[in-house]
Amino acid sequence: MKEELLDKIAELLEVDEITIQEELTSFEEWDSLTALSIIALVDSDYNKTLSNNQLKQFTSVGDLITFILK
Amino acid sequence: MKLSFNNKRISGILSVLPENEVRFLDEIDNYNFSEKQSIKLGKIMGYGTQRIVDSKTTVSDLCVFGMNYLFDNQLLDKKSIGAVVLCTQSPDYFLPATSNVISGRLALGEDVISMDINQGCAGFEVGLMQAFMLLNTGSIDKVVLLNADVLSQKVSINDRNSRPLVGDGATITIIENSKDDDDIEMFIKMDGTSALSLQIPAGGFKLPSTLETAALTKDDSGNFRSLDHLVMKGDAVFNFVQTKVPAMIQEMFDTLKIDKSYFDYYLFHQPNKFMLEKLAEKMKIPYEKMPNNISQKYGNGSGITVPLNVCENIGENALTNSYKVCFGGFGVGLTWSLIKWKLAKLEFCKIINY
Repeated sequence: MKEELLDKIAELLEVDEITIQEELTSFEEWDSLTALSIIALVDSDYNKTLSNNQLKQFTSVGDLITFILK
Repeated sequence: MKLSFNNKRISGILSVLPENEVRFLDEIDNYNFSEKQSIKLGKIMGYGTQRIVDSKTTVSDLCVFGMNYLFDNQLLDKKSIGAVVLCTQSPDYFLPATSNVISGRLALGEDVISMDINQGCAGFEVGLMQAFMLLNTGSIDKVVLLNADVLSQKVSINDRNSRPLVGDGATITIIENSKDDDDIEMFIKMDGTSALSLQIPAGGFKLPSTLETAALTKDDSGNFRSLDHLVMKGDAVFNFVQTKVPAMIQEMFDTLKIDKSYFDYYLFHQPNKFMLEKLAEKMKIPYEKMPNNISQKYGNGSGITVPLNVCENIGENALTNSYKVCFGGFGVGLTWSLIKWKLAKLEFCKIINY
């Protein structure tokens, strides 16, 4: 579950793999489109509603994962 | 809210689009993002071409042009019109109502009711509701529903959030009483607590336009716009659509005891390709039943996208065939609505250029 989610997020960020320690804003591909793609992923695959403001509160990949899998 | 109507038909739809075409790729330099970022965004969101008016063209110009086309080609008899309903959020004036201006320019006479409705993305559905109520009076046999907007005038050319989406144009839909007693079922909801998710902050009576409201400022994402410009909370609107519209579809299926195979077409508002694709996936409706080419080809023209969708994707087939259709609108207000109806043997269904 967690591995699969990490893969999906890595794909959106256009990197081969990511770790939960990495900062979301440190990725070159981190922009408003990636944010929207993550919001869409959370909605379609995890049936949860994530707002831009919530997303901005998350520092690391781990913060995001914790929210999604909670 | 669920509303039921019957004994009505759409007898024709005409779309009027400004001839001027703008390409997303030609405007990338206007945005404060790298070319690579913008191209990627364009691919995912489906940004292609948009029809945009010149700065002098108004909603009444587009509507009068289309109405005269119908009169000149004997597609509509001026004397048969009982009411003109205009749905717009870019009226010619604060007052009078732009529909009165249109009726006057067309010399429709004093016995034609003219009224404006301030609705956007669900403006086709709300306009139909008003047309049905006018027809139900028994004194009116034919209503002209005008959906028209020139919102490009209120979108910053340096705002990559909204500029690549917007389109201008008008549609004219003729609704009349008929012997066809097929039920028309309408579902409509509004959430005023989120009213400012999509707005033009300045220019009304609350915050009149001044030099200060016209000043461009940079937002968190790097877009430049002023308080005179249209602004939307993209994430809130996305989440609203993905949550509320599938729930309403399910309510429709359950209430009417039908399933998704009932409809030949889901003719939905098209904010952008991405959002409608996600919606189709969520509702498990095949892409071919939910056309999704309007925003990419013409831009998002607010309330015109659904009738334009009919002209573009069903077109002349609507003159001879009959289709079970679900109209859907969602957005500014926030307002969302679905209508179960049919399209059969229209007298005209086409697109013309202004």
